[in-house]
This record gives sequence, C-alpha cells and structure tokens, in this order.
Amino acid sequence: MRKYLDSLYLLGCWLAACCLCLICLLVVSQVTLNLIDRLSMLLTGSAIGLTIPSYADFTGFLLAAASFLSLAYTLREGGHIRVILLIDKMPEKVKRFMEIWSIGFCLALSLYFTWYTASLTHESYVYHDLSSGMIAVPIWIPQAAMLLGLVLLCVALADELVTIISHNTPSYLKNSEGLLVEEQMDDKQVDL
Amino acid sequence: MNEIALTLFLLVVLFLLLGSGIWVAFSLMAVGMAGMALFSNAPVGEVMATTIWGASNGWALAALPLFIWMGEILFRSHLSEDMFAGLSPWLNRLPGRLLHVNILGCGIFAAVSGSSAATAATIGKMSIPELSRRKYPQRMLIGTLAGSATLGLLIPPSIILIVYGVATEQSIARLFIAGVLPGCLLITLFIGYVVVWSLFHPQEIPPGETSLPFKEKLAHSRRLIPVLLLILGVMGSIYTGIASPTDAAAVGVLLTLVLSWYTGSLSKKTFIEAIIGATKTSCMIAFILAGAAFLTVSMGFTGIPKMLAGWIGGMHLSPYALLGALTLFFVVMGCFLDGISVVVLTTSVIMPMIDQAGIDPLWFGIFLVFVVEMAQITPPVGFNLFVIQGLTGLDILKVARAAVPFFLLLLVGLMLIVSFPRIVTFLPGLM
Repeated sequence: MRKYLDSLYLLGCWLAACCLCLICLLVVSQVTLNLIDRLSMLLTGSAIGLTIPSYADFTGFLLAAASFLSLAYTLREGGHIRVILLIDKMPEKVKRFMEIWSIGFCLALSLYFTWYTASLTHESYVYHDLSSGMIAVPIWIPQAAMLLGLVLLCVALADELVTIISHNTPSYLKNSEGLLVEEQMDDKQVDL
Repeated sequence: MNEIALTLFLLVVLFLLLGSGIWVAFSLMAVGMAGMALFSNAPVGEVMATTIWGASNGWALAALPLFIWMGEILFRSHLSEDMFAGLSPWLNRLPGRLLHVNILGCGIFAAVSGSSAATAATIGKMSIPELSRRKYPQRMLIGTLAGSATLGLLIPPSIILIVYGVATEQSIARLFIAGVLPGCLLITLFIGYVVVWSLFHPQEIPPGETSLPFKEKLAHSRRLIPVLLLILGVMGSIYTGIASPTDAAAVGVLLTLVLSWYTGSLSKKTFIEAIIGATKTSCMIAFILAGAAFLTVSMGFTGIPKMLAGWIGGMHLSPYALLGALTLFFVVMGCFLDGISVVVLTTSVIMPMIDQAGIDPLWFGIFLVFVVEMAQITPPVGFNLFVIQGLTGLDILKVARAAVPFFLLLLVGLMLIVSFPRIVTFLPGLM
C-alpha cells in the first residue's frame, strides 16, 4: 500500500514536470517562429505570420496542470510553506495534537475545495464550455487535471493523518529539516 | 458588526491559523472563506473554484516556473566556480578584496535567478569555503553574503516581482526593468560599506594574492562570458520588447541547458534534480498565489480594503507617513512570514489604500521588494538566514547579527528610492 501511494504521488510530480517541459518547448517553438517571421520580414518584406494557434491558452492550461498535479508530492516532501515557530517550541504531546489539527483542518478544506472543483468541471462538461482562443478546447479537460491534482492532495493529506494518528512521523516532517525549507541545501558543513 | 471589528476578527483568525501550523496557502483560503461566509451572501465554494481556476492558468504566470527552473539548473552547474575565478583577480586592489566577490557574484547571479535563497546558496557554496580558508573575517563574510543575496529578489528576473505583477495586474516586463537601477544602487551601497569598513580595519583583511598581468586577468574572466551573454540575452530581449518575460524565460531555460551541457555539468541526474526542484518550488508558490487570489476576491466581497483605503484617506496622511507606517508593519510581518506571503497579503488588502494615496503601483512594487529583502535577513524567519545557516552550520542569530549592517544599508536604499522615486521609474519610463 505504502509503495503504491508513494508512486502515485511521484507520478503526479512527474506529470507536472512533463507539463513544465512542454511549456518550455511550446514557448521556445513560438519564439523560433517569431524569429523566422522577423527574418522573412527583413529579407522579403513580408511576414509569413507563423504562430502556434492559442499557444498562450495552452501554456496556461499546462501551468495549471503542473501546479496542481505536484501538490501532493510537494506536501509529502515538506515543500509547502508553513510557520512552525510556535508549535516547534511546544512539548511533544501538544505538538502531535497540533499536527493532527493542521492536517485535519487542511484535509477538510481540501475536500471542500475538491468538491466544488468537481462541480465546476462537471458544469463545464455539461454545458460544453470552450476556451476562447483560436483552437477552442473543451474547458473541462484542463480543469480535470486540476481536479485530479486536488484529489491526489486529499489522498496525501488523509495518508498523513492516518500516519500521525497511528503514532508515526508524517512524511513532510521527516523530509523537511526545520521550517520553510525551500532549496535542497549542500550537505557540506564548512568550518569557519 | 462594524467593519473595524470585522477586519480585526479576520486578522486574528489569520494569525491563529498561521501560528498553529496550517500551511500558508490553506490559511489564506480559510480566511477568505470565513470572510465571505460571514459577511456576504455569495456562494463561497463556487466562487472559490472559479477564482482559483482563473488565477492558476495565466500566461504571465508561466514565467514563474521557467525562471525557477533556470535558477535550479544554474545552481547545479559550474557557475559558482566560474564566478569566483572570473571575479577574484580584479579585486586585489580594492579595500576589502575578496569580500566583494560575494557582492558582485550575488549581483550577477541575481540577474539570472529570481530567488534570493538560490542566490545565497549558489554563491555561498563557493565563497564561504574559499574566503574562510584565506582567513577573511567571519562576520563580514557572512554579512556580505546574507545582504547581497537579497539582490536576487530585486535584480530581474525576480520571482517576487512576477508574483506582485500577476497579483496586481502590472506589467511584469516594466517591473523587471524598474528593478535594475535600484539593484545597482544597492550594489554600490554594499561595496561602499565594505570599502569603508576595510579602510578602518586594515589588519583584518588578509593580504592580497600576487597580482596577475592584465592579460591573464582577462583570460580568467573569460569564464564569465557565457553567463553575461545569458543575462544580456534574457534581459535585453525583455527590455527591447522583442520578448515577453515568459518568452525570455523559456529561451533562458533552453540556453542554460545548452550552456551547462557545453561545460559538462549537465547529466541525467542533475537534469532530473533541477526539474523536480523547480516543479516543487513553483507548485508551492502557485498554491499560495491561488489562495491569495481567492482571498483578494473574498476581501472585495467584504469591502474591507475599500474601507481601509477610505479610513487612510480620511486621515490625510502624507504619503511619507503612510510609507513609514507600512515599512514598520511589513518589517514586523516579515519577521514571521516569508516574502511571498507578505506580498500576496499586501496585494489582497492594501492595494486600494495605495491607489487612494496616489502612489504609483509600479514604484510600490519595488518598494515592497526592498522591504521583503529586509525581511529575508531578519530573524526568526528569514530565508537567507536559513540558507546560510545550512551552508555554515552557524547559529541563526549569529548570522542575523552579521547581517545587521546590511539591513541598515537596505533601509538607506529604501529611503533613497522614497526621496528620489526617479531611480525606480526612470528606466521603465524610457520603454
């Protein structure tokens, strides 16, 4: 079970990483087309008018997918920012209680948010909402990626809640040293 | 319930949630929900889903993960070694010698990276061992690093400015360009301080190394050319209007990949580490932005920002008094919150007040970055302090004490941009 869940979160993160690569690829291709256009303008006096249709829309959709699909993995890795200044100073028992409160609260909030995102996606599907660009994409498709990411987040939070209630350390505490870890630091300690 | 009580109530809820360990993004959402549910009849869940979806798929926001990715690749390249080798031969004569490597190195790295933590980590991992081996005074070594790394926020590209631009619908390109001169101003202030300090404490600065002939110096500096070209390409294309920040960021990622492949630091492992790191960091920021977007809309429903703006307007404060009060407020907030949270909270609640006082939102963005920079080096919560603590193993308060002069220099810089707003608005005015 542990293994399946972990690979599920990792899969989300990989999908997100792929979205980032696609964003980069998409934008670079568009910039290249712009350059070709400029060159042709200089050489022949007329632009060919090369564009990837709706590329700004697609970039946005990929961005949303990337942001939401990696939520669960980032949570597990301790990547989300929180203030643990106060709870860190408390005795072990209170601390455990505060962690349960944090996870429980966020789980409730995520479930609520996921529910309404699901209904938003469902509405887009029922009413055939289309994106407004040259290529009209049914908007429920990118919204479904956001929904999927949120569902993953709920699973991850429930996972952490079960972990802490069964007296184990939640994964985000194990993975992040202290508070607000942003970058992976060099382990190298320097003597000064 | 009157509106002042309402504001205080929501503020208390926010700090209770944050203080009890709820993640920042969730706290923002929860306060937004509370405000909307208690003080308006709007359907909370629907508004929440629609707002957050709308705020998460913008074209301008796409610059964020790309610039973060670029920084992650450079962090794993040979850039920091190149920087040290390229800069140090020129600094032998300047009082303070290699301490200036920290300042200039951070300044240059800031121009390819948008985060001050990444700047501190990249420059520090080279300069701390090299300078401590040569017996440079520890306090100055740590202080210059902590102080100059904050330039990562101000000198474009800048993650904070992207966040501010997206949240307030300002042009990110103009914000970037506005950060250039203030960034140079800070570099000058830092260098000036180190020079003066070294003139007063000549015995503390280790002797310089044998000076190289001019030609050899140039040969050493050749290693800086790729990164300078990268800066020129990315910023040049934004400034001349050829490319939007998102375009420039994507091309920047591509060039950085080519560069690190060419210099042999790109492997499958570093590529994967970089993209996963970028995914996580940008996910964290995007989630906070999503929460803030919802909070902004919810605040609009409650009418708090308008009320605050009217209240401030009624007091007939001079803009200076307002800015003074805000600076104090931000510095206190910055002691407990990270920079991005400070910015998104500001934009949710304070922007109408700024408009009301007739302050240019472009200029205010840079002002905000200065304040956030100061927050980066104030304990107990300051990203740069954490990074340097991680690099050196020193106690965080010791690092913070070493950074005090630089905190004061930032304050001087802040006063300068308040007295001479043209420092900020001059370059964007030319665009």
